[in-house]
Amino acid sequence: MTASHEIETRLRETAERLLGEKKVDLFLGHEKASLPLRTTPLFLTVAADAARLAWNPFCSPNLAVYLPRLFRAPADAREAKTAPPRPTVGVVLKGCDARSVVALIQEHQLPRDKLVLVGIACPGMVDARKAERVLGLHEALGAGEDAHGNIRAVVEDGTEVTLRREQVLADVCLECRAPTPSICDIVLGAAVEPREAHVARRQAEELESRPADARWAHFQQMMSKCIRCNACRQACPMCYCKDCLLDQTRPRWVGAGTDFSDVAIYHLARAFHMAGRCTACGACARACPMGLDVRLLVRKLNLEVEDLYGYRPGEAVDATPPLSAFAMDDPQEFLTEP
Amino acid sequence: MTEKRIPQTDLDRLLARLRQRAAVYAPAEDGTGEVVLAALSGKESVTLEYRNFRLSPKALVLPQNQTLLCFKDGQAEEPRLPEGETILFGVRPCDARALLALDQVFLNGNPHDPYYARLRSGATVITLACARPMSSCFCTSVGGGPGDGTGADVLAVALAEDLLLRAETSKGEALLASLADLLSDATPAAVKEAQEQVRAAEDPMTPVKVDGSAERLRQAYDSPLWEAASRKCLGCGTCSFLCPTCHCFDITDEVRGGAGRRVRTWDCCAYPLFTLHASGHNPRPTPKERWRQRIMHKFRYAVENFDRLFCVGCGRCIRHCPASLDLRTVLKEVGA
Repeated sequence: MTASHEIETRLRETAERLLGEKKVDLFLGHEKASLPLRTTPLFLTVAADAARLAWNPFCSPNLAVYLPRLFRAPADAREAKTAPPRPTVGVVLKGCDARSVVALIQEHQLPRDKLVLVGIACPGMVDARKAERVLGLHEALGAGEDAHGNIRAVVEDGTEVTLRREQVLADVCLECRAPTPSICDIVLGAAVEPREAHVARRQAEELESRPADARWAHFQQMMSKCIRCNACRQACPMCYCKDCLLDQTRPRWVGAGTDFSDVAIYHLARAFHMAGRCTACGACARACPMGLDVRLLVRKLNLEVEDLYGYRPGEAVDATPPLSAFAMDDPQEFLTEP
Repeated sequence: MTEKRIPQTDLDRLLARLRQRAAVYAPAEDGTGEVVLAALSGKESVTLEYRNFRLSPKALVLPQNQTLLCFKDGQAEEPRLPEGETILFGVRPCDARALLALDQVFLNGNPHDPYYARLRSGATVITLACARPMSSCFCTSVGGGPGDGTGADVLAVALAEDLLLRAETSKGEALLASLADLLSDATPAAVKEAQEQVRAAEDPMTPVKVDGSAERLRQAYDSPLWEAASRKCLGCGTCSFLCPTCHCFDITDEVRGGAGRRVRTWDCCAYPLFTLHASGHNPRPTPKERWRQRIMHKFRYAVENFDRLFCVGCGRCIRHCPASLDLRTVLKEVGA
């Protein structure tokens, strides 16, 4: 049995117990999807269904995105009268997912006492599109993990192809500094070593070393492919605003089309709203149907927050995020000396 | 119609000839290893080695971003509709059929949409039959097929060395007639090979039961199974934006001072704001209502209104959904 199988067995036992003993009303995990190289979120309410839970290299979705809506406050007094009591929710979390949960708790979107957090240290998840690109014109009909942690895919003519895990890991996993979840009530499996600390920084520095026109061209080229589907925002656990600035129509701050200025403002605005809040889970890049490097801007902004305030989002639930805090000796020249 | 043939080595000549009379879109690598339906400028490396494009061709008849009219100081001015012809080479049969679904909405409806009509009538569709469907394809279950010429002006089949071409409409006939010096008649053996290739492509597709789905969906409207089936939907819009038949749009005015323009942009019924009323009420407040609407629209309302499914089985929504929601599974789960 590979480590994943072992963790999967323990995960199923854990969920079955939590549901059976009514410690949770709902358990969120992953299950096999209809296509290979992927899993799909699973919302369990019955202990017997715990056998559907999966733990494998394809458990990429960040389940934290489903949590805020489970705890949304009633809109008004009338709704409050008929609203059901808040559920207790169990959820499977990788390192990045746990960071999202920490950030959501910091921002008062989740009640810690209504959550049972099951953490699994994550060696990195497969990016289905990367794997499919490596397979080229072959199509995987089935895929699994072998004893070395690599991916073994069976393609349409029945042959097996082994994909080295490092080759098909999601980009965001290659820069992961905290694969072992903090904050969890139950931890399954051993800790995993973080990746080398400066991958994201080197990427940002490489881009910054290019002359301004080259950087602008890179940005423009990326924006020209964006179809404004908003998948990045919808997939992001930190984008939970009921009325998103970018959807408002009175006034309309940003047009809905693909004019360059609208596309650019959408991404710039989102990046600034994510600065110091983005937990580098990669859900945005995974969701993007155009395969864009959606994290281009926020990767840099997060590094700036880290350098200026010594803060990395999602690591300490008791910390106050720097952009929500102030100190009396914060510089204020921009107010008095414009 | 007689089948014609051209050696695949002559494809570039064929496309160059087409470029003399129209803007030509053909499958080409985009520099990142992906094959897209690219506007040809002559420098692209055209290829027939692809399954299907990520984006459907609907953007060429229903742009993501379309100016409907401009206005200034109280006067409206319609923009000149784009002139000129386009030729779309390499569209897959599912996407070509999807254009007919869009025609139902934009041409046969009231009002008739002149913006769509201009782009559509200016487009000639050369469909390329599929030799290798993907596991997410199910065109044969929804009335189509890997060698289906419905919606095409010309149907092409790529054999080992030749490309077979067959006119499906009078527009297609005229096109092939204009290329007569590049084409020769296809041999009966080649025609047979093409038919076998199509049949072989049909075999591996897993059937999806949709016969009678309209009635079953009508009965399943209040089923509690919708809730479970749709809980994981993020409302991200990927499915609608990649879908070749999805056509919902929003219209907004962009105004600065006394001048501005009215713009049509793609919209998506899975968005939380799609049915938000000015009062604040939302008749589709959760993913359950929105997902139910999505399935109903494609598999029931379209059948009731147009006697046609608004799904062509291209599988893009299944491949690209970040939550891996599969509408084939949802159809089964709600008893459709």
